[in-house]
Amino acid sequence: MESTSTNPRTKPERTAIEITGMNKWYDKFHVLKDISLSVTEKEIIVVCGPSGSGKSTLIRCINQLEQYQEGTISLFGEKLEKNKKGANLVRDNVGMLFQNFNLFPHLTILENCTLGPIWLHKIPEHLAIEQSTALLNRVGIAELASKYPGQVSGGQQQRVAIARSLAMKPKIMLFDEPTSALDPEMIKEVLDVMIDLAHSGMTMICVTHEMQFAQQVADRVVFMADGEIVEEGPPEQVLKDPKWDRTSLFLQHILSH
Amino acid sequence: MDNQQKKHGALLKFVPRPDRPPITITYGPVGWLKKNLFGNLWNSLLTITVFFLLFLLLKPFLEWTLFKAVWSASTRRECLSISPDGACWAGIFPWVNNLLYGLYPDALQWRVNLAFAIGLLWFVPLALKKVQQKILFALMGVMLFPFLANYLFLGGDRSSVHYIVACSALAYLLTLYINIILTYLNGKRLEQHLETFMERFSKKRAALLGHSTIWFFLTVVIAYVFKDQALEHVGVDAWGGLFLTLIISGVSIVMALPIGIILALGRRSEMPIIKWFSISTIEVVRSVPMITVLFMSVTMLPLFFPNTMELNKLVQVLVAVCLFAGAYMAETVRGGLQAISRGQYDAAKSLGLGYWRTMIFIILPQALRIMIPNIVTSFISLFKDTTLVSIIGLFDIMLMARNISIDKNWLGLHTEPLVAISVLFFVFCYSMSEYSQRLEKKLNTNR
Ligand SMILES: Nc1ncnc2c1ncn2[C@@H]1O[C@H](COP(=O)(O)OP(=O)(O)O)[C@@H](O)[C@H]1O
Ligand SMILES: [Mg+2]
Repeated sequence: MESTSTNPRTKPERTAIEITGMNKWYDKFHVLKDISLSVTEKEIIVVCGPSGSGKSTLIRCINQLEQYQEGTISLFGEKLEKNKKGANLVRDNVGMLFQNFNLFPHLTILENCTLGPIWLHKIPEHLAIEQSTALLNRVGIAELASKYPGQVSGGQQQRVAIARSLAMKPKIMLFDEPTSALDPEMIKEVLDVMIDLAHSGMTMICVTHEMQFAQQVADRVVFMADGEIVEEGPPEQVLKDPKWDRTSLFLQHILSH
Repeated sequence: MDNQQKKHGALLKFVPRPDRPPITITYGPVGWLKKNLFGNLWNSLLTITVFFLLFLLLKPFLEWTLFKAVWSASTRRECLSISPDGACWAGIFPWVNNLLYGLYPDALQWRVNLAFAIGLLWFVPLALKKVQQKILFALMGVMLFPFLANYLFLGGDRSSVHYIVACSALAYLLTLYINIILTYLNGKRLEQHLETFMERFSKKRAALLGHSTIWFFLTVVIAYVFKDQALEHVGVDAWGGLFLTLIISGVSIVMALPIGIILALGRRSEMPIIKWFSISTIEVVRSVPMITVLFMSVTMLPLFFPNTMELNKLVQVLVAVCLFAGAYMAETVRGGLQAISRGQYDAAKSLGLGYWRTMIFIILPQALRIMIPNIVTSFISLFKDTTLVSIIGLFDIMLMARNISIDKNWLGLHTEPLVAISVLFFVFCYSMSEYSQRLEKKLNTNR
């Protein structure tokens, strides 16, 4: 929001993502209604809301995986256009995690991680292997490097997906329900990596229903329903003392089981 | 794991049981028979009936092909006088050469053999474990080898460009083999010897530069060595038999996949012109019989080229068959592309891989893997379909086989040549099918 300063000592927080007046329709169905959201650098946002409320659509728009008809998105002050420049802007800044991991099944775990750096950052293979191995180490699965995704558990696959994204050195990470396809005992291992990532200063938007995660690391919780942002605020406020009945109802539902 | 609970000490410690080896039941051959064929009365009856029927069916066949067959005779009449109810295999032997090479002059057939041997040499390294960059040299083979083969087959005064490319093909293969031998001896590859020198020009591409230099040098040497070796011209009309069948099917099999992939991608393209061009090509070519495509290629293709250019029948046929095969392959490939989930595209896109990289590294490898059985089925039917070219007068193995029956010595010998080439086709097609199954197994273990 403030103009970017070159003086590192004052270091004002930059705006990482700025969404203004975004509307999106699937045919006649109005999925996203007047969405405006601003995320500062290093901020952790948790997005929650009932199924079908447009959470996935929203973060897929940020990543340009979906087109929107109205409104603008800017990354670090640069407007995202639907052209090569916009695609490069996304590629250089944003990484994304999916509910179904979407690893490349025909490549080994290491190859999954090195593919991007080798072909897009054009770094030599041995360096890419070195960096990716370090990342796999960081997410705690270096010993699985030569296995194929189909040979490891869901939690491990999701951690590989995190490493694969990190290999591209993104400044922003988007998570679309990263733990909802996992067995309960694997959720924690993925959340731990995400918490670690949050502490390391990554800007994150997480669509998740893990309210403990929200309380632990989120700076803001955004509640969506029917394509609108119903309310947003610090986790204590939104989760403990919601303003709207809709939010309260939803929270009762997910906390009751 | 649960430290808190362990401290209380009230819980029992769970120790998993040791694994037991899986149970394997072995029957001897007698046991197998007992279990599978004579398990109960009904099964035994069924088995006996089936064997009896098989015997009734096979007996006349075996008698005709083996027990009453004639293996040496000089005319069909002689065959009939020896054994009227048996096959007259004697008639095949004098024609073997024609069945294999068509009308290619006997004295020059070594050129065909040599070309096929070199072709095989190009395949062998693909099966070796230590060889790297297999895709690269397979591609180089596809691009270079046809010139070399064509040079050997055709002979005569070819353009100097053609000669040089043929020599460079040989040179490339030579560098390949030297490198393979060096790798197995754990020595430095050829280009690595030049690396320090080449690094002066470009650090990154030193290996490539080194390899190209050696390749170029060898090409020059080979071109110099063979410069006085004139090859006698053999026209395309003399090519025939299995040799011609293999050329047509080989070219179309190699071209079918790239054409098919391009058409399939085009069909899914978002650019209207490319999309409609692909769809119309695929649909038109698929909707007409192969024979009409062949006839049309011979009569219509020359209309598209300037009058001065003389097209030979073989090239026209090759164009037609490749187009036909490509259009069919396009639909096979499209099926494979559809099987890849949207998540793969999403993941590739969110990594920032563009369209071509997504296709080449992510989508096509997975799609083609699923498609192997279908692709090989297409290849097999393509191989068999090439026998249709005999209809427009190319002397492929089919036409040669039928010509036996109008040879004055073997007049009316229809069945035996057809049975013989059926066996030959079976051998080829069955090996393709076997190979595909092996490939599938090998690729599946990677999952
Ligand atoms: N490709 C699509 N075409 C049409 N409707 C879609 C498509 N994708 C999502 N939708 C609809 O948009 C709405 C929002 O979907 P989504 O963003 O996935 O919701 P959430 O992630 O919050 O569960 C849903 O009602 C869904 O049915
Ligand atoms: Mg969703």
